[in-house]
Amino acid sequence: MSDAGSSFPDADGQTLLEGFARVVAVEGGRAWLEPEETTSCGTCHSAGLCSIGKDAGNAKRMAAKRFQLPGDLGLKVGERVVVGISETALVKGAATAYGLPLIALLAGGILGQEFYATDGMAALGAFGGLVVGLGLARLLADGLSARGVLTPRFLRRDYHLPPDAACTSDHG
Amino acid sequence: MEHYLLLFISAALVSNVVLMRFLGLCSFMGVTTRVDTALGMGAATTFCITISAMIDWGVEKVLLEPYELGYLRTVAFILVIAAAVQFTEAVVRKVSPTMFQMLGIYLPLITTNCAVLGVNLLLVEGKMNFIESTVFAFASSLGYSLVMVLFAGLRERLALCAVPRLFAGPPIGFITASLLALAFMGFSGMSTN
Repeated sequence: MSDAGSSFPDADGQTLLEGFARVVAVEGGRAWLEPEETTSCGTCHSAGLCSIGKDAGNAKRMAAKRFQLPGDLGLKVGERVVVGISETALVKGAATAYGLPLIALLAGGILGQEFYATDGMAALGAFGGLVVGLGLARLLADGLSARGVLTPRFLRRDYHLPPDAACTSDHG
Repeated sequence: MEHYLLLFISAALVSNVVLMRFLGLCSFMGVTTRVDTALGMGAATTFCITISAMIDWGVEKVLLEPYELGYLRTVAFILVIAAAVQFTEAVVRKVSPTMFQMLGIYLPLITTNCAVLGVNLLLVEGKMNFIESTVFAFASSLGYSLVMVLFAGLRERLALCAVPRLFAGPPIGFITASLLALAFMGFSGMSTN
């Protein structure tokens, strides 16, 4: 999801991370969106105009990031919208996708080393742990997706680009 | 087990990759304006550093060391890091396409992060075995993530403060980073590498 550079609490009191996305298709009233990719500098509010961001993604890569919004929101193809996802979803996502496989990898490696005391068995244990961890991560991710934890929410239509929409990145 | 714990503390806190070894400073300043971007970048980097360290250990022991190809180390390691980043991207996309939307943005930045190559070269210098290398790489990258998130939290607070015009932006960021480095010096002596 592209970074709109802002976060606001929603009605439930959860802080939402906002991002821009564009409607690329509407099927049965439900909109398919493609996130606007930018660099992850987080310093720039002009996500749609950032030339670095446009270079960073290609069509195939962007197509892989398409997502569907639940419900009929009356969106039209080409509209630019602001979507949000809760901060806790990002933490849960990172812990599931990266944390779980790494913990399993380390556990497998240490067990291999402790029981057989050879680098080969430690490497084999680590690889086995990684595979198991990835399997568990997939199961957990499916569970989170089914509960809608990872689904971005529609927040509002984005009608206006900021008049001073130039890249203002202030880091080297 | 105590040995691994000491190695972990040493790599994560005492010899912190950012504040003590001065690696990964570009992303440290560039991706720490918000906590969520710092967290995403830190998590992705932790995964890639650990995976690339495992593979690089194998490359060193199977190819570079036996055939005395040490002069190819940097090139070989960069190749492995690029492959590890691609592997991570594929894995995250497979595990959950929705997560890929959230976390995938940080992955291409890792290839050019000098902390990744730096940690892998430190492993060779340390002459560690496989599991020590993996624990060291994991702990180093966790230390990197910890510092990224801490610094991002400080910068989010600084953004709300009335900072004098001359210090606004990167200058106050560098001053804050130096104070954070001083704080981390408090860990010196806890464990040696």
